Amino acid sequence: MRINCPHCGARDAQEFTYLGAADPQRPDGLAATEAAMTDYVYMRDNPAGPHRELWYHGAGCHSWLIVTRDTRTHAIALVEPAKTRKAGAAA
Amino acid sequence: MAETATSWDPRGAWAGIAQPGSFGAKGEAGVFAIMLEGFGLASVIAEPDTTAALSQTVEALLGLTLPPTPRIARGPAHDIVWAGPDQWLLRTASRNGFTGLLSELSAHAAVSEQSDARAALRLSGPRARDVLAKGVMLDLHPTAFAIGDVALTNVAYVGAHLWRLDDAADGPVFEILLPRSMAGSFWSWFVASAREFGCRVASGRG
Ligand SMILES: [Zn+2]
Repeated sequence: MRINCPHCGARDAQEFTYLGAADPQRPDGLAATEAAMTDYVYMRDNPAGPHRELWYHGAGCHSWLIVTRDTRTHAIALVEPAKTRKAGAAA
Repeated sequence: MAETATSWDPRGAWAGIAQPGSFGAKGEAGVFAIMLEGFGLASVIAEPDTTAALSQTVEALLGLTLPPTPRIARGPAHDIVWAGPDQWLLRTASRNGFTGLLSELSAHAAVSEQSDARAALRLSGPRARDVLAKGVMLDLHPTAFAIGDVALTNVAYVGAHLWRLDDAADGPVFEILLPRSMAGSFWSWFVASAREFGCRVASGRG
């Protein structure tokens, strides 16, 4: 599998590390209920199909990326820098 | 009798690992490796909103434009190498005046002196590409990796910063920076990989 890093170009998957689903937002640890925390930590979707996930280009540009990957075929539809989303979310 | 160190001598990154000479196949060498010494090196990291100011300062001080993509900008005494989004490496041929230059840049970026942190090698010769092909996962064919292109990647599991300089008469020229502590690992891969082509090793100024 190759990931087309928006900064570095197409690179082998072994240059990256996988974190998990990109969209779940961690609840505030002190304020969150146990149920909300359990939901965030354990109750993850396991879709057969497109999945937005976080990958870290550790052997390259050290950027976090959001990769939209089809879990059935490994076909990658989109790779975006995660930084952009974070900046957008904060605004 | 107890021995006491009476002086500290600077020690190059390749000391005790590689030495000038030849190894591998006899006859005309297919690969030339120059162990680069004495250069100044610093990482320069901007915030997205300070990149413009940093860019202007670099332009004014060095006459170079910060490359926004994986490229190297070369000047007579300074190189600016892309090192990730909003990150660069500044390399100088000599360390004279380097501290002053870094303090001027630090007004617009996080600047960190790295001169002795990396081991640097310049590889050239007609078989240089064949050696690198054994450890680099990137396509280094001239149509895919042009003169001035830069890559951050792994070479034989060692993190490497790699770029291509102007061709020489006998083939392509690459430079490669490695974490200094990994120089021994890299060198053992390099010797095993270059042996079949014959390699001449020399020391040089970066
Ligand atoms: Zn990258």
